[in-house]
Amino acid sequence: MAANYWASTQRLYWQFSKQKLAETRRRIEDEDRALVQQYPLPERRFLSIYFNQQIVKLGRRIQVRQQALATAQIYVRRFYTKVEIRQTNPYLVMATAVYLACKMEECPQHIRFVVSEARTFWPDFIPTDTSKLGECEFTLISEMNSQLIVHQPYRSLSDLQSTFSLAQDEVALAWSIINDHYLTDLPLLYPPHIVALTAVFLAVVLKPTQTSLHAAATSAAAAASAVQAATSSVNSSGNGFPSSSSGGNATSTPQTKVQELVGWLAESDADMEAIIDCTQELISLYDVWEQYNEKGDLRTFQQMENMRFQKGGELWGIEKRNRWRNEVGVIGSDRFFVSQFD
Amino acid sequence: MALSPAIPSPHTNSVTAKVKTLSVGNGAASEGTKSTAGQGQELAEQLNEETKRKYVKDKKIGEGTYAIVYLGHLRADPKSKVAIKKIKVNAEYREGLSLDAIREVKFLQELSHPNIPALYSVFSSKNQNLNLVLEYLPLGDLEQLIRDVDGVRYGTADVKAWMGMLARAVWFCHENFVLHRDIKPNNLLIAADGEIKLADFGLARSFSDPYRVMTHQVITRWYRPPELLFGARYYSGAVDIWSTGTVFAELILRTPFLAGNSDVHQLELICQFVGTPNDDNWPGVSKLPDYVPFGKDGSQSYPVRGRDFYLQTFGTVGAVGVDLLMSMLSLDPRKRVTAREVLTHKWWSTDPTPTKKEDLPKKGAGGEARMAEDLKRRAGELDDGRGVKVARILDFSGMK
Repeated sequence: MAANYWASTQRLYWQFSKQKLAETRRRIEDEDRALVQQYPLPERRFLSIYFNQQIVKLGRRIQVRQQALATAQIYVRRFYTKVEIRQTNPYLVMATAVYLACKMEECPQHIRFVVSEARTFWPDFIPTDTSKLGECEFTLISEMNSQLIVHQPYRSLSDLQSTFSLAQDEVALAWSIINDHYLTDLPLLYPPHIVALTAVFLAVVLKPTQTSLHAAATSAAAAASAVQAATSSVNSSGNGFPSSSSGGNATSTPQTKVQELVGWLAESDADMEAIIDCTQELISLYDVWEQYNEKGDLRTFQQMENMRFQKGGELWGIEKRNRWRNEVGVIGSDRFFVSQFD
Repeated sequence: MALSPAIPSPHTNSVTAKVKTLSVGNGAASEGTKSTAGQGQELAEQLNEETKRKYVKDKKIGEGTYAIVYLGHLRADPKSKVAIKKIKVNAEYREGLSLDAIREVKFLQELSHPNIPALYSVFSSKNQNLNLVLEYLPLGDLEQLIRDVDGVRYGTADVKAWMGMLARAVWFCHENFVLHRDIKPNNLLIAADGEIKLADFGLARSFSDPYRVMTHQVITRWYRPPELLFGARYYSGAVDIWSTGTVFAELILRTPFLAGNSDVHQLELICQFVGTPNDDNWPGVSKLPDYVPFGKDGSQSYPVRGRDFYLQTFGTVGAVGVDLLMSMLSLDPRKRVTAREVLTHKWWSTDPTPTKKEDLPKKGAGGEARMAEDLKRRAGELDDGRGVKVARILDFSGMK
C-alpha cells in the first residue's frame, strides 16, 4: 500500500455502486450481443470463483505473497469491467495480472518463470513466447489507465487487531474472510476498511472454532441484523450498547467482544449499511460456494474456451482477437459480421 | 493521483454506448482488418486515442536508454507546455515493462503535491510505448544552480526556500508511505514559477511490510546514507532524510559534500566528515551485513563531528540551520530527524525568511535541454563526465 486511500485513484475511479457496476457490464455485453449469445458464460459468481481459484493456484505455485495475489485478483476484476471476457484469453490475462502484481508489490518474478509455471496449468492457453505476456501486460496497464496502486484490507485488519484486542485465531479467520472477499465484487464496491471491519465482525461472531463457515452463515445473518438493530437503537436513544437483541447467537460467541465491537461500530463513523451489505454478500458467497462445483459449472466454460482457441489456431492473446473475430464472423452469422463493421 | 480530466475514468465516459467494440490490442495483427473493414474501435482504444490527440509532440528534446523526452503542448492551447516522456518498451516485450517505468507511473498517478511533478495523463502510442504527459519544468534543476558558481548567486534565504520545498516533498512521500530513494540535486527540477519538484520515482517504493527485506542498492552514492552502504535490508524514511541533509550541505558548500568515488571511499568520507560509526554512537551498527570496522586496526577513527565543525563549515545558514543539518546527518538512522520533525524545526521561523519562490535565483537558458537530460537518465545514475568534473574531494584540513 502506498499513498492515501481517500485521495487514491482506487476511490476516485475504481469504486462502483452496484447499479453502476451492473450497468458497466451490461454495456460491454451489449456492444457485442452476437458474441455474448454464441458463447454463454457460467453464472458470474461461479465464474468469479473459478477465476479466483485459478489465480490462487498459480500464485501458490510460484509462491507469491498474499498481498500480490490480492492485487492480481483486483487487476483481473478491474480489467473485466473494461473488456468483455469473451474477447480475451482469460488464462493469459490471469497470468499477466499475477506477473504485474508481483512487480507492483515489490516481489518481482521473472517473466519467463511466470510463463513456464502458468503453462503447467494451462498449456493450451499460455504461449511459450514471453512477449505475448509482455504485450498483455501493456494492455492490462492501458485498460486500467495505469492506475496500479491497490489498497487492500489487510493493513486495516492489522490496525483493528489491537483496537479490538483480537486473538490470534480471530485474526486468522478475519484474514481468510478477507481472502474470500476477492471471490466477490466487494473489492469494486466498498473501501478496504469496510471490508476489514466486516471480516473482523464476522470472525468474532463466527468464532474460529467453527469449522465450516458455510454452516455458520445463518448465525452471521442473525448477527448482521443485530448490528442493524444496534445502530438503529443508537440512533434513536443515543445508547452506545445494544440491548439483548443480539442474543440469538449467544451460544457460539464471546458475547462481550461482540458487544464491544457492535458498540464501537455504532459510535464510529463507519458506513453501517455498507458493512451490513458486505456481510450479506459474504454470506451469500459461502452459500454459492457450497453449490459450486468446478467440474459441473465450469465444464461448459472450459469447453468453450478450448473450442474458441482451437478454432483460432495459434490465437493467443487479446491482440489477435480481430482475426479470431473474423473467423467467428465467418463461422457464425454473416449478419453479425456486417452489422459490426458497417 | 492525477486529477486531470484527460484520464478516462469509468465514471465519466459517456461515449461508450456509441462505440462499437473491437480489439483492445492494436498490434500488427489487427491492422489489416481495421483498414479493410473500417470498423469502430474498442472503447479504451478510442479514449486513449482521444487522450493522445489532446497533446501534440513538438520536438524531441532528449533521448536516453530508458526514455525519450519530447516537448509538447495541448492541441487546444498552443501556448501550453508539457513534457512527454516516452518510455521505451524492451524490444518485443520479451522482458515485460521495466520496473523503473512501472514505479514511476505507479507513484506519480497517486501522489499529487505542489512539490512533486504532476502527471497529467498517460497514453500508449502505436508501437505500444507508454507515454507520460508530465508537467513541463523549464528552469533546469538545482544541481545546475549549485554548480554555476559564477553565474548564479544565492544566499541563506534562498537555500531555506529550496530546502523548505524539498522538505515538504519528502514529508508528503513519507506521509503516503513512499520512500523516494534517489534524492539528489539533479532530481530537484525547477518549475517556471520557481517551485522545486522532487522528480524521478524510478527507484521509489512503498514502505515495506515489517520484516520484509528491501534492496540496499539504491540512492546515488554521494547521497547514500551509511546504513545502506553497510548493506541494511530493513530501513526507513531516514534514508531519504540523509540524502536531504547532503543536499542541504551541498547547497551551502556549492559542491557535493561527500563525493566518494567508490562505496568504500564514500564510507571513508562519511567517517572523516561526519564521524566513524561504532556501536557507541550507533548501537548495533556492527551487526549490519556489510559492516566494515573503520577506525580499527590502526586506521584513524574520527569522533562524531561536533557543533563547532558544522558551524565552521556550514555557518552561513546560522546556528539553528546548523542544528537542522546535524540532525539530518545523524549516523544512527534511529536518531535522525523524521520528515515531520524537519517541517516543525525552528529554522524555518528564524531569520531570514525564505525567499518567495518567484524571487528565487534562476538560470536563464538551457532549461529545456536540462529537463530532457534529467528525465532520460536512469534512476540512481550519475551523468557521465559531469560527475568527474565536480568530484573534487573536499579538503577541510585547513579548518580544524
